[in-house]
Amino acid sequence: MGIKRFHYARDVEEALSLLAAYEGRGALLAGGVDLARGLAPEVEGLIDVTTAGLAGISADGGGLRVGATTTLEAIRRSQEAQGYLGGFLAKVMGHVATLPLRNMATLGGAVVSAHPWADIPTALVALGAEAVWQNEELTEKASVEELYRRPFRAIFRRALLTEVRFPAWDGAFAFEKVARNAGDIALINCACGLGLDGEGKIAWARVAIGATPHRAKRLTAVEDFLTDEAPSEELWAEAAHKMKTEVEVGDDMRASAEWRRSAAAAIVRRALDRAAKGVTGDA
Amino acid sequence: MKVVGKNVRKVDGIALVTGQPVFTLDVTPPGAVVGKILRSPHAHAEIVRIDTSKAEELPGVLCILHHGNVPRTPYTTAGQGWPEPSPYDSFLFDRKVRFVGDRVAAVAATSEEIADEALRLIEVEYRQLPAVLVPEEAIGPGAPVIHDEEESRGIHDPQHNVAAAIDIRVGDIERGFTESDVVVETTCEFPYVQHVPLESHCVVAYLDEEDRLVIRSATQVPFHVRRIVARALGVPLSRIRVIKPRIGGGFGTKQEIILEDVAAALALRTRRPVVMKYSRAEEFVAARTRHPMKIRIKLGAKRDGTIHAIEMDVLSNTGAYGTHSLTVLSNVGSKTLPLYNKAPHLWFHGKAVYTNLPVAGAYRGYGATQGYFALEVAVDELAEKLGMDPLKLRLANHIRAGETSPIFEKIGEGRAGKAQVVKSCALEECIREGAKRIGWKEKHGKKTSEGRWVHGVGMALSMQGSGITDIDMAAATIVMNEDGSFRLLVGATDLGTGSDTILAQIAAETLGVAVEAISVYSSDTDFTPFDTGAYASSTTYVSGGAVLRAAQEARRRILEVAAAILGEPPESLDLEEGHAVSRGTGKKVPLSEVGHRAMYVTDQRHIIATASFVAPESPPPFAAFFAEVAVDVETGVVRVVKFVAAADCGMPINPALAEGQLEGAIVQGIGHTLYEELLFSPRGRVRNPNLFDYRIPTAADVPDIEVVLIPSDEPTGPYGAKSIGEIGINGPAPAIANAIYDAIGVRLYRIPFTPERVLKALHGKSMG
Ligand SMILES: Cc1cc2nc3c(=O)[nH]c(=O)nc-3n(C[C@H](O)[C@H](O)[C@H](O)COP(=O)(O)OP(=O)(O)OC[C@H]3O[C@@H](n4cnc5c(N)ncnc54)[C@H](O)[C@@H]3O)c2cc1C
Repeated sequence: MGIKRFHYARDVEEALSLLAAYEGRGALLAGGVDLARGLAPEVEGLIDVTTAGLAGISADGGGLRVGATTTLEAIRRSQEAQGYLGGFLAKVMGHVATLPLRNMATLGGAVVSAHPWADIPTALVALGAEAVWQNEELTEKASVEELYRRPFRAIFRRALLTEVRFPAWDGAFAFEKVARNAGDIALINCACGLGLDGEGKIAWARVAIGATPHRAKRLTAVEDFLTDEAPSEELWAEAAHKMKTEVEVGDDMRASAEWRRSAAAAIVRRALDRAAKGVTGDA
Repeated sequence: MKVVGKNVRKVDGIALVTGQPVFTLDVTPPGAVVGKILRSPHAHAEIVRIDTSKAEELPGVLCILHHGNVPRTPYTTAGQGWPEPSPYDSFLFDRKVRFVGDRVAAVAATSEEIADEALRLIEVEYRQLPAVLVPEEAIGPGAPVIHDEEESRGIHDPQHNVAAAIDIRVGDIERGFTESDVVVETTCEFPYVQHVPLESHCVVAYLDEEDRLVIRSATQVPFHVRRIVARALGVPLSRIRVIKPRIGGGFGTKQEIILEDVAAALALRTRRPVVMKYSRAEEFVAARTRHPMKIRIKLGAKRDGTIHAIEMDVLSNTGAYGTHSLTVLSNVGSKTLPLYNKAPHLWFHGKAVYTNLPVAGAYRGYGATQGYFALEVAVDELAEKLGMDPLKLRLANHIRAGETSPIFEKIGEGRAGKAQVVKSCALEECIREGAKRIGWKEKHGKKTSEGRWVHGVGMALSMQGSGITDIDMAAATIVMNEDGSFRLLVGATDLGTGSDTILAQIAAETLGVAVEAISVYSSDTDFTPFDTGAYASSTTYVSGGAVLRAAQEARRRILEVAAAILGEPPESLDLEEGHAVSRGTGKKVPLSEVGHRAMYVTDQRHIIATASFVAPESPPPFAAFFAEVAVDVETGVVRVVKFVAAADCGMPINPALAEGQLEGAIVQGIGHTLYEELLFSPRGRVRNPNLFDYRIPTAADVPDIEVVLIPSDEPTGPYGAKSIGEIGINGPAPAIANAIYDAIGVRLYRIPFTPERVLKALHGKSMG
């Protein structure tokens, strides 16, 4: 078949009406980093959404709003992102691929492609980020975590992701990734966050793990285990131990389930330790 | 020295960085069509029926080749000197396929899309045969015979899938071990790894106005391409011209005739220019790889640390075809055993066996890399068992100038070798300097921890060769222009190493001119003299030797003319800064005047000199490698913190280029040590034939590398030079393995040292 037409969408409405007109034979194109690796054979029309005016980053109270077509490198460098959670999100972007790819790849593309091995979904799930999308009828939103429980691939055959909203957190997050070399995808990754109450106990905990090799998931059992406890090296070790029993891991060409289980525990312990130090100002 | 020993700019540097159309596919002749190859989906099968009728009906399809319509002449794809040491076990197209990705048919069509569509339309009926993917099974009872065809020649034992075998004994090995106080035995494994040159294999083949076949190819071996294509296609050698433009990297994989034969056959059949290039996936599947090996090594030593006996037992996997099978196997021993020449008892034996997997071939290091991994890990173990510093053990045993090894005489290029005394060796200084720079004394055996990161240091030694004794021959021609400038015509093939620059430096030094006065042209079988090609670390030594001789001859002729002008005997004249100068009177004449007079004025002649050089021996370069690693004991991640290489390549003609060769080789070696490995499905399909899944080091992965050249003066080399192209890749695997051991007390015997393998070994240790 192959591409017959290429469109620059001037706004969201145009993108959506073009998408509808193709009746399943059109595809939205953002950075193209992913699409270039292989297009569905039925696709005839590409609709470039980077011209639809969605790019941009703004502070939103203590939170952050990022337009869907904002590139990963733009996030990494933006003042607003650096001001959010001590630059946590910006730092995660530094772990993604290589500079030339980050200059093209967009946050929206990362959310929709939702690779199980990717880092961004892990961070977004941990952060409780909210995805906002539009189809021809309505605007919807859901947390990225929730979105991934729905048939999101089907949703985005008819809808355009417009924005990702990051909530404010009173605490700190840390991200960890193990890869073979620079620019490689993760063999395992995790994002952990902690907040303390007035007595120095853990008020909330967020623990997400990805590339297990399944898509990023929160481990609420570990989060619950941590809540109301006092931060300590021993606690992280116990949480890591719990992690080992809770985490669902599998084998693929890159690593075995067995290694992933050990490594998951190690990186979660580290991320918790780093997050805790972020909270108490030790880092 | 005015030019030699200086970091002059690469002669092709500006053209390369400004993107001039210098590579094979940068220019395509008008009317060119595209050639593509249909590949086998099966690891081992017979082609029962092939029907090309539908594909031929497709508009734009010009020609389809397969086993039914081409000559069936056995040949080898290995671009090596004559007599060819690799078995003749390949055919243009065969009735049988022997690995997933083997050639089935080729199409020439007017566009890539049409060619792809034509490949889909070719109907092939296969009768699958049992496949064997494991070398041990390939030589076991009841294994399917991979080369059961009658026409093949030179296979050691086709019935048992043994492409090549070697068995070399010196002294009495049993006695050697009995007499040893300490014995260690180790088995190391090297997996399938690939060269991954930036430019994949590519070629343009066409018929010129006189109907001669012209092959423009990214090859390391233009003259072997001409000879082998002539054989494979039954075309007289005189009817073939091979042009080698700039090459975008090769590392050995372009020492193979992989596409030239098919492109040439298609061009002859269609009478149109044919362009072919490998995709990255084809490069991984159907180019060449390093020979995967399992090497069992046994070392015996006296209590004082004198190595007394060495046994090396090699199982090499050559894949579906035996290209370079014997010579790579031989090199495992011939390039390693002489390093520890004090041992009177040696036994080196092994087999290179066929499997239904991708084809191994030449790859930088050429067997020595695999050999040194095993040898230098074993030496580290021996030191531990002796309670000796591994550095001291190596100092006590390594070869030195004025010494020899029986191995030089026993093992040659697929035949017996030639006795050789090492005439230059700065290895001892390399060891001492490298040790200082890594901080060996302070760090070895005193692992330090920074949190979960545990640091350790390790070392390894290596030698290589410089060309192949009595086989590698190069010729060079120097042509003087009337303005006093020169053309240097060489068959040598700069594959990105900078050898054109080095050859120009050698010529410039001899002729007393600046490098800018020499324009280098390489290589074209119609216009440049013969050269065996760029492999076996030969170019500086062998081609450089030819350039030196040609330049000396040109110099003699120039001085004759200058002597007539100046009225002084030629013996009293020197060439300096573009002039012939009298040592006695200081009178001088510019070379432009010499050239002008010779060409136009008196006693006219063109000053041209051609000379040949045959490697009289293969003087080894030496190197000492040191690695400091940090191991994350919780995840098994290994980081190279610092890497030091101190090398003796004789007198470096261009130190910056020599250092670049070392640095590049080290980075390539770190890649295979830490992450590179081709993975296969149970049916023999490559699972990671792309750079997303098969990782190679990037600039961001390069650790702190310190290279230092310790010069020695090699009397047989041009201006004292030896080689540097390969040796660097032998160091990383053993040095890093030994450093990991120093850090965490766990020995790893199989590269790559992935986090998974390291952690498993660590856990195994804590459980034990
Ligand atoms: C070589 C490589 C390395 C990578 N490494 C990493 C890594 O280390 N860590 C990591 O986290 N990720 C990594 N990724 C994934 C990368 O982050 C995503 O592929 C990238 O962000 C996709 O963005 P894009 O803008 O290029 O998407 P595109 O390729 O343009 O699109 C991807 C998909 O999303 C759809 N889409 C895009 N935008 C929208 C939108 N606004 N609304 C609805 N649908 C949309 C497209 O139709 C398509 O289906 C890597 C990818 C590659 C190719």
